[in-house]
Amino acid sequence: MTPDYPALLHALLPEASLVLGALILLGLDLVPGRGRTDAKRMRTSATLGLVALAAAVYHSIDAGRGGVAFAGVLILDSLALGTRVGVLGLAALTLLLMPGGSRIRNPAEYVAVVLFATAGFTLMAVAQQLLLAYLALELASLSLYVLAGFDKTRPESAEAALKYFLLGGISAAFLLFGFSLLYGLTGSIAFPDIARHLGGHEPNPLLIVALVMVLVAFGFKAAAAPFHLWAPDVYQGAPTASAALIASASKLAGFTLFVRLLWSGLAPAAGSAASMEGAPGWLPVVAIIAAVSLLLGNLGALAQSNVRRLLAYSAIAHAGALLLGVMAAGSAGPAPLFYYAATYGLATVGAFGVISVVERAGPCQQITDLAGLHRRSPLLAGCLLVFMLSLAGIPPLAGFFGKFAVFAAALKIGGLAGPIGWLAVLAIFLSAVALYYYLIVLKQALVAAPADGAPHIAVPLTSAAALAIAAALLLVLGVFPSLVLRIVQ
Amino acid sequence: MLELGAFLRLMTLPVHLLWLIAALPLLAAGIGALTPRRGRALAAGVAIAAMALSFLLSCAALATALAQPAAHLVHNFAWFDLGLGPLRLGWLLDPLTAFMCVMVTLVGLLIFVFSVGYMHADANSTRFFCFMSVFAAAMLGVLIANSLLLLFVCWELVGLASYLLIGFWFHKPAAAAAAKKAFITTRIGDLGLLLGMLWLYDSTGTLLFFDAGNGVLEAGALGALTAQTTIGGLAVSTAIGLLVFCGAIGKSGQFPLHVWLPDAMEGPTPVSALIHAATMVAAGVFLVARVYPLMAADQALAHVPIHALTVVAFIGAITALMGAMIAVAQNDIKRVLAFSTVSQLGYMMLALGVGSWVAAIFHLLTHAFFKALLFLGAGSVIHAAHHEQDIRRLGGLRGPMRTTFATFAIGMMALSGVPFLFSGFWSKEAILHAAHAWNGSSLPLFAGLAAVVLTAFYMTRLVAEVFFGAPRSEAAGHAHESPPTMTIPLIGLAVGAVLLGFLGTPAYPWLQARLLGETEVHGHSLLEGGGLMMLSIVLVALGIGAGWAIYWRRLRATATALDPLERATPRTFAALAARLGFDELYAATVGRLSNATAALADALDRHVWDGAIRFLARLGEFTGVVSRETDEDMLNGGFDAGSESLRGTGKLYSRAQTGETHGYLRVIAIGFVLLVLIVMMGGGQ
Repeated sequence: MTPDYPALLHALLPEASLVLGALILLGLDLVPGRGRTDAKRMRTSATLGLVALAAAVYHSIDAGRGGVAFAGVLILDSLALGTRVGVLGLAALTLLLMPGGSRIRNPAEYVAVVLFATAGFTLMAVAQQLLLAYLALELASLSLYVLAGFDKTRPESAEAALKYFLLGGISAAFLLFGFSLLYGLTGSIAFPDIARHLGGHEPNPLLIVALVMVLVAFGFKAAAAPFHLWAPDVYQGAPTASAALIASASKLAGFTLFVRLLWSGLAPAAGSAASMEGAPGWLPVVAIIAAVSLLLGNLGALAQSNVRRLLAYSAIAHAGALLLGVMAAGSAGPAPLFYYAATYGLATVGAFGVISVVERAGPCQQITDLAGLHRRSPLLAGCLLVFMLSLAGIPPLAGFFGKFAVFAAALKIGGLAGPIGWLAVLAIFLSAVALYYYLIVLKQALVAAPADGAPHIAVPLTSAAALAIAAALLLVLGVFPSLVLRIVQ
Repeated sequence: MLELGAFLRLMTLPVHLLWLIAALPLLAAGIGALTPRRGRALAAGVAIAAMALSFLLSCAALATALAQPAAHLVHNFAWFDLGLGPLRLGWLLDPLTAFMCVMVTLVGLLIFVFSVGYMHADANSTRFFCFMSVFAAAMLGVLIANSLLLLFVCWELVGLASYLLIGFWFHKPAAAAAAKKAFITTRIGDLGLLLGMLWLYDSTGTLLFFDAGNGVLEAGALGALTAQTTIGGLAVSTAIGLLVFCGAIGKSGQFPLHVWLPDAMEGPTPVSALIHAATMVAAGVFLVARVYPLMAADQALAHVPIHALTVVAFIGAITALMGAMIAVAQNDIKRVLAFSTVSQLGYMMLALGVGSWVAAIFHLLTHAFFKALLFLGAGSVIHAAHHEQDIRRLGGLRGPMRTTFATFAIGMMALSGVPFLFSGFWSKEAILHAAHAWNGSSLPLFAGLAAVVLTAFYMTRLVAEVFFGAPRSEAAGHAHESPPTMTIPLIGLAVGAVLLGFLGTPAYPWLQARLLGETEVHGHSLLEGGGLMMLSIVLVALGIGAGWAIYWRRLRATATALDPLERATPRTFAALAARLGFDELYAATVGRLSNATAALADALDRHVWDGAIRFLARLGEFTGVVSRETDEDMLNGGFDAGSESLRGTGKLYSRAQTGETHGYLRVIAIGFVLLVLIVMMGGGQ
């Protein structure tokens, strides 16, 4: 059958607008932008980038929920739509925060790479085939490696990028090897066909190796333990905007692809997480990774004195909770997972945004660098309060409802009995532990007195707007979670 | 006349916009919260403007509701999805809601205006108007809710506003203690309401009152609730109704949870007038009236041990009598009025219990006006007499405060039930007639009749002590009339206290008919049931006559002179003055039990749980430290040392790899192998 190219174009217009926008802004920066100051080039590039993102949002909504496209390579369902809009929004917030953050040289290239990465994310949201999934993931990953090492003035940035690249390369190798084994076993690269072929067969050792390889690669992408070791170093070393993108949009897109691959491609090999006995499958592996992530992330965060490393460990802990949502997606649908990932992304972008503004006035690495923030800038302190409490899961902020929805969905699978029930209880218990380290940050920001001579921080208008939007969204979505849940269901 | 009719037809408020009535005061509260302390005029102006707009909207809502009085106009919407289905809330507009909204906004508006004068010397009046607006918003939310859940949320917000306002002068220990007492005591009742709500949701799967046949107050759900029985042979609807009634007992200061209401008088007097006389305390009565189909669902059942409404009737009767008795022996002008409120709320509950919820709402509406009037009059007196509240130290205020005296006298006569001209007479008659017609027991009727005498008696005493004779303190001697912002609301309320009664006279019971959803009004002659009316008129005359004989003829000469009743029966008087010892009883029983439990919990917490938590915390800390040490020293150590000593980036790369990335890769590899092994072995079992 001949592929339907106009339909393909229609489905991929968001990615096309992103790439076109990136090329246009590079061209503009190359000729008329020459000789201008960095700040001016930054403003122009960020504005153009926002326009491209807005166009992509428009085309995503326009493409809507058209079902499968291009012979089943793409799927345009409500999850894809939600994820596309979500990652575009998170990328837009990152761009909005950039002019007010620390200085970046060659801003046009930076924005262009952000747009390429975002194109990778939106492709991950619609991929329904191993090859496209791999390509989208690699497009996003390669862009993120570049973004992590963009600050050429600091060796930490280079270190972070190199480490991220090396480990990312290995995980890509795992993923590709796993995918090729899957292709070898089933003879297909389309998710539904794979599921059909797996349906009739007993799982064999080769399939298990393939599954675990795929899970290792995704565990790496999601910063789930024990494949998380890159995260603290990268969060610490990368430029703040890059770290924000890695922590938010990348996670949302990754989990969407992950849950789609597992439940629409590999569901027959799920095994059972209700008990460890019976047919082997990927559910027990996810359960183990989730448990280890929850434990290591939360307990590791307790000992951190660096606020970025703390956010990294918090990301590991949240990855554990998100994996719980992945397991529950089989029965409860992807809505709780999506809600959790999207609101977690919002809170994280916000937290990194606060850090990026504080950095204008001095370094912001240690938690004590935030001391007295309520005096230095009440707006930043107020926003940080919302972001941290949302990360900790305090009602009425969205973080609470995300936790609630995921845990409730997980508990519905088998009640308190069995490993998933225990996992949910563990996650709830560790949420209490998590509150402690988030409050440590807030204590510095809201209670401690500022260091001697710490200057007042002027918050640029764009950053203030981005932070206010993120905080307001967390509050509104926390009170009316159905606004998001309704879209994805 | 034609224009008026056209105008009235224009005044409609679609039910989906009903939330505006409550949203406007909430907006005013938000503005008030953001206004700095010096912006008093702004805060007061915004609060009053919002209240006035809400009043107009309420009038429009009333016109809408009266156009089709039998219909329950609802607007339901999904809040969010929970469990099996969406959690739905909604607004409800029927004559009950509309009349209550008009009353709350009108009385509220007058009291807000009064507060401008009363609070003008208070540095925190911005905060005061903010809290008052929060209260008004929450109260209106209670009225328009079409969901028990939404009602409960607003109910708790009303309690919060009450707590904040009773403790408005929190630097006074008595005010802080009273605020705490009010909050905790009403929470006991709210626990019952919460349990009732959960049970109701469990049994019916919805909390909407009206939902096109699926609501809890509609036939389907009620039939299911009466069909099941629970412990002791009670119908489920009876048990749920009684639990819901617990909330009403707490909020409306009914026996045995009435103890908080007199103490709540520590708040500013406009608060006492609005919250603790006219509106919030009547919310319990409104709640029972709102869920009346549920409360009355068990009436048709013959073989149940008790009907929910019987309990309501007896609680109301006890409260009505007890409140009136205690009011006789109080010396604080606001406490007399507070116990009078307790007693009148008891009347309303009595009316609900004996089956006439329209009489209860009629009395609620008239009582709101004349009791708010009395409280504001008391506020005017207190304001003039430099915060002297002891009636023994007042006196002789009739001359200098003519407007206050005249309006207070109208309020007194309305409350006492002086015949024909005053609203209180008609609404009290309606209740007594309903009690007379009840075939359950005649005890509530007797309690009500006894309270009629006592009410007339203590109100006569109050007026004689405060307004007649000679001033018995310096403050009372220097008193002069309050400013117009205070007297104009008094006049407005006095007009209401007179006129409102004519909406519901037996000859033309328009209000009752509309509440019941009837478009035709069936009046009957005043002579029907005239015997009971004559009896109550005689009783009122008896009460006023006794008060006149004891207090008026021999006016008090000095502040320290003994009360004539105290001289005659010192023991009874002392017992009544001590409020029959309920506070002491509760302190000795519930209070002591609670203290003992608290001490036990404290000890457990300190020694047992805290030890365990500390152990876990140490364990967590230890794991965290180990994890960090592994991460930073073992894995990062090489790199950090390398980057410290070497500057060249080329060399840095090589060092970075040998330092740690190998370590990371090793962990990934080990993780992979372990996971494969676990899955293989797990599958082999």
